[in-house]
Amino acid sequence: MKNKDLSFWLFLTPVLLALAIVVFIPLIIGTYYSFTDWNGLTVTKFVGFEHYLNILKDETFIDALKFTTLFSIVAVILLNIIGLGLAILVTQKLKSSNFLRTIFFMPNLIGGLILGFIWQFVFINVFGEIGQSLGIPSLQGWLSTTNTGFWGLVILTIWQMSGYIMIIYIAYLQNIPNELNEAADIDGASSLQRFRHITFPLVAPAFTVSMFLTLSNAFKIYDQNLSLTEGGPFGSTQMVAMDIVRTAYTRNQLAYGQAKAVIFFIIIAVIALSQVYYNKKREVDL
Amino acid sequence: MYFFKLICERLQKIGGKKMSKHLKGLIVLLLAVLVLAACGGDGSSESNANGDDTSGEEQITINVFQGKVEIKDQFEAMVEVYEEENPNVNIEFVAVGGGSDYIGSLKTRFSSGDEPEIFSIAGPTEAEQFKDYLADLSDTESAQLAFEGTLDSVRDGDAVLGLPYNLEGYGYIYNKEIFENAGVDASSIMTYEDLENAFSTIDSQKDDLGIVAVNALGAKERWIIGAHLANAYLAPEFNNNILEAYNADTVTFERGDELKRMLDLQVEYSVQPTLNIDYSQQVEQYFSLGQVAVIQQGNWIYPSVEQMDPDLAQNLGILPIPVEGLEGKLPVGVPNYWGVNKNKDEATVQAAKDFLDWMNTSEVGKETVTSEFNFIPAYEGYSADMINDPISKEIFRYSEAGETIGWVFNGFPSNSWGDLLGEFMQEYIADGLEWEDVLTNATEKWEEGRN
Repeated sequence: MKNKDLSFWLFLTPVLLALAIVVFIPLIIGTYYSFTDWNGLTVTKFVGFEHYLNILKDETFIDALKFTTLFSIVAVILLNIIGLGLAILVTQKLKSSNFLRTIFFMPNLIGGLILGFIWQFVFINVFGEIGQSLGIPSLQGWLSTTNTGFWGLVILTIWQMSGYIMIIYIAYLQNIPNELNEAADIDGASSLQRFRHITFPLVAPAFTVSMFLTLSNAFKIYDQNLSLTEGGPFGSTQMVAMDIVRTAYTRNQLAYGQAKAVIFFIIIAVIALSQVYYNKKREVDL
Repeated sequence: MYFFKLICERLQKIGGKKMSKHLKGLIVLLLAVLVLAACGGDGSSESNANGDDTSGEEQITINVFQGKVEIKDQFEAMVEVYEEENPNVNIEFVAVGGGSDYIGSLKTRFSSGDEPEIFSIAGPTEAEQFKDYLADLSDTESAQLAFEGTLDSVRDGDAVLGLPYNLEGYGYIYNKEIFENAGVDASSIMTYEDLENAFSTIDSQKDDLGIVAVNALGAKERWIIGAHLANAYLAPEFNNNILEAYNADTVTFERGDELKRMLDLQVEYSVQPTLNIDYSQQVEQYFSLGQVAVIQQGNWIYPSVEQMDPDLAQNLGILPIPVEGLEGKLPVGVPNYWGVNKNKDEATVQAAKDFLDWMNTSEVGKETVTSEFNFIPAYEGYSADMINDPISKEIFRYSEAGETIGWVFNGFPSNSWGDLLGEFMQEYIADGLEWEDVLTNATEKWEEGRN
């Protein structure tokens, strides 16, 4: 195959250039800065692995990492269950299915910052009012404790992203040939059995895509975190991305923040790549 | 693009089949970079040509780079007057802020070589970072006129590295109408006990006064408690001198008990849960709508209150935070400083200094600064009558009389120790931490930040 001739590279050039300018070069420069005492203006000396060793002892970073990991696990599981559920719902022969699809997808079109403020109002004022008038104390004071802050973030993320995941599942669900289901039906398979043995294996590729998307998105969340809880109360709902921004810009330790960012990058890359590898092996080809 | 292809084919012929695929890719890449670079070059030469049309006299351009977006139009109007008086000076104003990161943008400007002539810095941390770029301003008229103590945080030996923008002050801002209705005389409140009595008097008549609570403590904002409230009790420890705080290796919390007492008082009489109340809820939802009688805030809330309720805005007063032995003193400080870039030629540096002096001392400048920017002047030569809003007026009177407590929180370690202290205080409010632990943890963090 002679597809890698000159025109191949020629067509690739703009993309390669763009990638190099906005991804590869900053990555290399950033990694370099993480080994220095860069303060945003000048580099005076090379400090080796000092920043990286400090990160191991940095409680705020480790707390943020734990919080983010827990959040991502819960969010990924719930997102995929709810996304798949919605997809199955709207692929039934319902009159309103197109309307429902639009509705479910809509939250995805709203920016994270605004969503955060909307949900802040819902959690604090709406929940508070309902709790007060019905006398349910657990609905009051949301976001003022670590637990409610955590679930607030989970609910917000699910509300925002499940519509997107639903679209991915719909695409795969509609690709399942009808004959398979019909044949199984004739053979007397129950709907649960049909889901378990036909639908589930055939939408497996969708898991790869959507788990990859949800996991890396959940890990990288920043704007929702910022507008909903701002890391509070007492910094207990602060995620890694926010910790990095605060280290670099509020505390003015740019090189140290850069070192955190490099570690964050490695963690996300490892998770994402291993997950793609693992899921690829399980996929069923039609 | 055809020309491009020709070169490539020519190169291919030269290289023949021996040329590896990678090499080919590399050449294509290089050529593309060259083409792009050529385009870029065109643009820059054009802009050079534009800047060249001077009319005889040497033209000086001063770029002003700073973080207050809200004064942009007013500043430009003032600049026009100055440019008419000084035709050889051209002032360009850039405002970065309102959500975008000012200091990050400033660093970008410096590292890209496009350095502004005048820029703003906040406090000693930034003054030290930009020390290599900041000219000595001690010979300016403004520096002579600046209120005592306002230059502390930008002093470097005998040199003065910045000139104050303005003053800002905070304390307990109260709704005069509610205080009157409750029969509380604000002017008699001096000590902590007075304040406590006032709070409980108002609290007992909550329903009659139509308020939900006496005050709203914005404990969600770490700076309200960790920087501002704590500052009132930390400043005396550092003799009200920000540089002393900036150079201190540790903090002893001499007045830690007083801080606790005041925090407890505010939490007790606040709308609950305090950890949910952010700045906008505190100022807009609770205070401006008349749901609480008093909040711990500063003169910067005036525009928001005015927008929501102009009558209330004219009916505001401010009380100092009572600190034992220092009753009746208001925490007043300088949020930002003007700095002049010293890496420019002498004439430009002088022109920049002249402009800053003109802004702070000429009639037009004074008028704009007070009534258009709504600044509280940090210089002598102004009178309280020039200031529009009632809170700023009172703050100016306090500073004129020297009845102030300094702002030391810009001298906290790595700029954000106040946030950390605020987090520990939040944990204390949520009953997750004993008060002694708040102080020990905070002291530990201070010492960490100084190493």
